[in-house]
Amino acid sequence: MSIAAKRALFAIAFVASLGVSNSTHAQEKTVKIYGFGAKSGVVGIFGQQSEAAMQAAAAIINKSGGVTLGDGSKARLVIDYLDDRCTAEEGINALRRIASQNDAFVAIGPTCSNVAEPVFGILQKKTGDASDSGIQFPLYTDVAAKGGLASISQWAFRNVPSEANMYKAIFEWIKATKPELKTFWGGVEKDFAHSNATFGVIKAQAGSNGLQVLGQSEWLLNDTNFSTQVREMRRANADVVAISAHPFTTCGVLKEMARQNVRPKLLVGLTSSSSMETLQGCAAQAEGLIIPTSFAPVTDQAKQAAVAVQAINPKYNMDLHNAAAFENVFTLKELIEKNKIMARPDSIQADRVKMRDALAAMKETQGLLGKVGRTDDREAIKPYLFVQAKSGNWVVAHTPKQ
Amino acid sequence: MDLLDLIDLIQALTDGVLFGTTYALIGIGFTLIFGVMHKINLSYAAASIGAAYLSLVLVNLVPAPIVYLGAALAGGVLGWLIYLICFRFIPLENPLATLMSTVGMLLAIEELISHLTLGMPQNYPALFANSNLEFGSFFLRGDLLFIFFLGCAAMFALTMLLKRTKLGLATRAVAQQATAAQLCGMSVSATNGATFVIAGLLGGIAGSMAGAAIGVLSPLMAMPLTVKGLVVTVIGGLGSIPGAIIAGLMVGGAENLFQFLRGVSERDIYVMLLLFVFLTLKPGGLFAAPGGRD
Repeated sequence: MSIAAKRALFAIAFVASLGVSNSTHAQEKTVKIYGFGAKSGVVGIFGQQSEAAMQAAAAIINKSGGVTLGDGSKARLVIDYLDDRCTAEEGINALRRIASQNDAFVAIGPTCSNVAEPVFGILQKKTGDASDSGIQFPLYTDVAAKGGLASISQWAFRNVPSEANMYKAIFEWIKATKPELKTFWGGVEKDFAHSNATFGVIKAQAGSNGLQVLGQSEWLLNDTNFSTQVREMRRANADVVAISAHPFTTCGVLKEMARQNVRPKLLVGLTSSSSMETLQGCAAQAEGLIIPTSFAPVTDQAKQAAVAVQAINPKYNMDLHNAAAFENVFTLKELIEKNKIMARPDSIQADRVKMRDALAAMKETQGLLGKVGRTDDREAIKPYLFVQAKSGNWVVAHTPKQ
Repeated sequence: MDLLDLIDLIQALTDGVLFGTTYALIGIGFTLIFGVMHKINLSYAAASIGAAYLSLVLVNLVPAPIVYLGAALAGGVLGWLIYLICFRFIPLENPLATLMSTVGMLLAIEELISHLTLGMPQNYPALFANSNLEFGSFFLRGDLLFIFFLGCAAMFALTMLLKRTKLGLATRAVAQQATAAQLCGMSVSATNGATFVIAGLLGGIAGSMAGAAIGVLSPLMAMPLTVKGLVVTVIGGLGSIPGAIIAGLMVGGAENLFQFLRGVSERDIYVMLLLFVFLTLKPGGLFAAPGGRD
């Protein structure tokens, strides 16, 4: 073979290999959904479980062929989860970092309400307002549950349960099924945005449903001694005691109540405490504690989702927090396909706007417990039920009509 | 204020003083190390909680007293490790060096606990948790009484060790005048290491008692115990063990008293004000340690 022929053959082979590698590259096309939340620190379990749920959802989607982009091509869904340590500064930093990426057009998060509020605060308040230099990036929150946060910005959307509705329902149920209960005492973790805000709802609903509010005890997230607060509770001797606190202080207070022989006829807890952390810390003392929640493995989809999360890492399980992250990934996948998101660097700004508009246009999404409605102020109307701590497990106590 | 309010006030004060034993033990640890090395070990309280966490491996295997013993031993080991990492090879003449190294160790211990436990509260055994001595509306908690007496026993043992043993003599000599102690043939580094071990043993007891008093362990406990320990050390007098004991009980009582009188939103303000009053009026603390000769 002549040298020229060899060169020609080599050139053909080289070009052919480029074609192969290009088609291989096309098969490995990825579309990224970012997430951010508390992955470290004392509430690190929330963010870690959210990430696990998002990874589980992505694995299911990828197994079914991936996500169809605007040009008809298929892309593998990739999750990239940043840690904000449940602090406002790091949450804002995380959002800025995500927004600066040329492959980021939507993010799920954050975990903590005390992060969500300032993070939503740096988003553009109203879309199309040229005088507002806020970040134009859609966020779809999974965990941060303090009431009314999505109204801060038209770029903020949430898939969290309405605690106002849930506690209204639970106290209406108490009124209807336990009319002998007359008095109420509250306990609240004052320095945590979620527990403090939700306590206002709990107390109001208790009063609206015929319970005489005798008073409240207060403590801080880091407190190590609850004897004075429980003493107040003991003296009040209320029929119903509601504890609006996260697992550590909930357990501290419940154990102190056991020591001081404070045994109300009914215990109500904060949504965030309907998790394994509470049962890990104080299963015996939490016996009978009732909490409204937007997740329990009571449907086939919920059970399969719980299994999928455990397959990612057996130390994680599914609860009301990361169930929303799981749902969010599927919702976003649907929106990407319906709205022909291109997920290219040159289209990323347009993709962000498309995604925001698509989130705003949603009337309903599919949740693990059933259909999830949407409100005009970008919040969710999630199905919920009441769980009760029984013998170290959360069991369904009641599924209210919704 | 009616009779019931008065009883509640006395109850709050009593519970606080009894719980203050844990603050006293933490304060003793801080002051012991300061007394010998003239340095603050900011990781001390975190190591105490870490020791309590390490004792969790024994929880389902042995009775509670052995778990507490395990925590004490783990505290001793952690104390020695902290000395090795944060003090032994750090230039002690640099005033900030050990401060920074111990802050780093505090954060590292907190993070390690959070990572290993996923931040989940861990059940911790308590002795006499359901045994109260009741006097009408007033009662003495059995578990807090146990903590108080165990703390007193630990303080007594420490006092005996410092006053009646060669190690104690060496510790006091190094604290008073390290150069002269060295000239007398005492190994300063060995004595310092032993002091950290002793302080660690106390810290392990403090951490396990704090866990027992609350009933759960959480990485959230490290920072408040650090702050309270420092407050106790300053109020008691840097380097004074009797001062740390009295200040610990005082801070515990004051905390509960202000909680009762002013609620949680103002409680810590008054505790800090107490600190500022001492810093202003008696900066040496309750029992300022005598200065060494040069």
